[in-house]
Amino acid sequence: MTLHLTEPRTGGAPAHSPESRKPGSRKPGPRKSRRGSRPGGSSIDVQRKKLLIPFVGPAFVLYTVLFIVPALGAVWISLHKWAGSGPMKFVGLDNYGRIFRDQLFLSSFGNTLLLLFVVGTAIFVLAFALTLVLRDMAGKKIARNVIFFPHLINALVFGVLAGFIFNPGGMVNSLLAPLGVTDPPKWLAQDNIFPLIMVTLVCTTTGYFTTILMAGVDRIPPYYYEDCALAGASAFQRLRYVILPLTWDVFGTCAVLWTISSVKIFEIVWVFGGSSGAGVPPTQSWTAAVYTYVNAFSGQSTPAYGAATASAVLSLALISVLVVLLRRAMRRDAVEF
Amino acid sequence: MSQDKLLAPLTPVRRRPGRGVSPALRGERSILRGMGVALLWMVVVISIAALVWMVAQAFRDTRAILDDPWGVPTSLDFGNFVRAWTVGDFAVATWNSLLTTVVSSVLTVAIAAPCSYYLSRVDNKLTQGLSLYFILGLGIPAQVILIPLFVMLNKVYLTDNIIGLNLVYIGVSMPFTVFLLTAFFRSLPLEMEEAAALDGTTAFGTFWRITLPLAKGGILTAFILQVISHWNETLLALTLLQSTEKYTLPVALISFVQQQTYSGADWGGLFAGLVIVVLPMLIIYVWLGRRLTEGLTLGMGK
Repeated sequence: MTLHLTEPRTGGAPAHSPESRKPGSRKPGPRKSRRGSRPGGSSIDVQRKKLLIPFVGPAFVLYTVLFIVPALGAVWISLHKWAGSGPMKFVGLDNYGRIFRDQLFLSSFGNTLLLLFVVGTAIFVLAFALTLVLRDMAGKKIARNVIFFPHLINALVFGVLAGFIFNPGGMVNSLLAPLGVTDPPKWLAQDNIFPLIMVTLVCTTTGYFTTILMAGVDRIPPYYYEDCALAGASAFQRLRYVILPLTWDVFGTCAVLWTISSVKIFEIVWVFGGSSGAGVPPTQSWTAAVYTYVNAFSGQSTPAYGAATASAVLSLALISVLVVLLRRAMRRDAVEF
Repeated sequence: MSQDKLLAPLTPVRRRPGRGVSPALRGERSILRGMGVALLWMVVVISIAALVWMVAQAFRDTRAILDDPWGVPTSLDFGNFVRAWTVGDFAVATWNSLLTTVVSSVLTVAIAAPCSYYLSRVDNKLTQGLSLYFILGLGIPAQVILIPLFVMLNKVYLTDNIIGLNLVYIGVSMPFTVFLLTAFFRSLPLEMEEAAALDGTTAFGTFWRITLPLAKGGILTAFILQVISHWNETLLALTLLQSTEKYTLPVALISFVQQQTYSGADWGGLFAGLVIVVLPMLIIYVWLGRRLTEGLTLGMGK
């Protein structure tokens, strides 16, 4: 996953190396020839190379031991039947078969997909609309700063607040009463929680993506708009031929970001509605992440580490496939400007 | 050179010359647009009001809150905070959160900075491979490593342990921090390093005495971003910590919410808890807002 936002400043090539700024190597040859053009490098380069172990070593070791090894371990555990203690029994792909027959997993994974696609679409449409409105609005900095803030708040907070706002005697119902709604829906009924979570997520996440898209739109130099005005382009034409093509790469980045972050969603589901009875949210609102956690750590039944990791590994597979597809679909030559 | 200038290469925002916007840039005044603007300001007002409301409720007792959720506090009553602080174990949790956040964020940046420097200055097959290897981690969701991590740490007695949690946070933050700082170091001018090298400074010396001071802005951004993500991290802390005196704030909040299922809702205390979680973020945001949005939108995501 390469993210392209900084490029227009630094230049074209994705892995733009600082050396290419030296006058001698400025010609835009392919990377290989550039590397070949300085075989030994200067003495400082040689010295620098010796710093590999002390500089990269600690980060590499920590990252490998605490991130990559567990990730590989997850794949390994997912091939076993294991309750966390005692012997591991190798069962091959049985866990995957088992969770696909598990209604609970299917609904959890379905919810994750709903978050990913439905909430994702809503966020993107809204964020793009907001970007267009914000682009030349008076006081846009204030507005932008305010709508960004929810991104810094733990999603737990929204979950807890929703419990207060939507409870039967709560604020929403007291607002609806004067409007003649005497029989409001049971907001926090088990079946209604997940749609509410989706709405909450749209509200709290849109601002963040608006900020990112705006960073892309702000990068478009004003003379393009002036040119549009001179050429008599309509608002739609301006959108279609200037704004969209020039922010395309930012859209791609946002899509990748949302794919990754939506699959992780856990906290808000965990506490949504305030108190959730036995400490586990109703199964109708589970996501794949919740499924993994409950199956391994809830203490309600024998931990099924195999099935739990299998679910997590499938989430990872989902991310990988989508990111690859997205990069394919969004790949077009970035417009230089 | 000021820090702002140094951060500039990361910034795509082009400042328009002057305050006025040329007529060509002004949007057309359509009804749809007007509605959009009105709607947007409504969202802004509601967001601010919600935040103020939440803080205000934290100063009222539960009965008053339930009787009239729209009310304002009549007096500055810290009772909720005192109760959350003592009964809800928020005191210990706040301390744990503070300690974990600061220690792990400092160490993350301290370990990632040299690595990023190396990756940004040496360009060969190895560093390209390493960069890719670090970026890989950005796509792995936390639930994948949850169970193996628990098993591994359990073997070395680091579960239910603040040190263990810190280690995990450092490891998990590496991909993003390395990614952000590599991009930042690449954007710094090379000339001063070259001059220092010509004057006989060692490779380490150029990093320590030239590049690091130049990179203060980017490093601070990376640090603050880590502070925010570690302060809010929930899933790993919930899994790895089991005893109340080890809880970090999000975990304490969850346990406080769950206690209420049995002991009746203490909304006053809960609101106080929410404020304790949110307020530090608000302070950081007001203090360093611009740097943050830039870092987050350019570093792309937590």
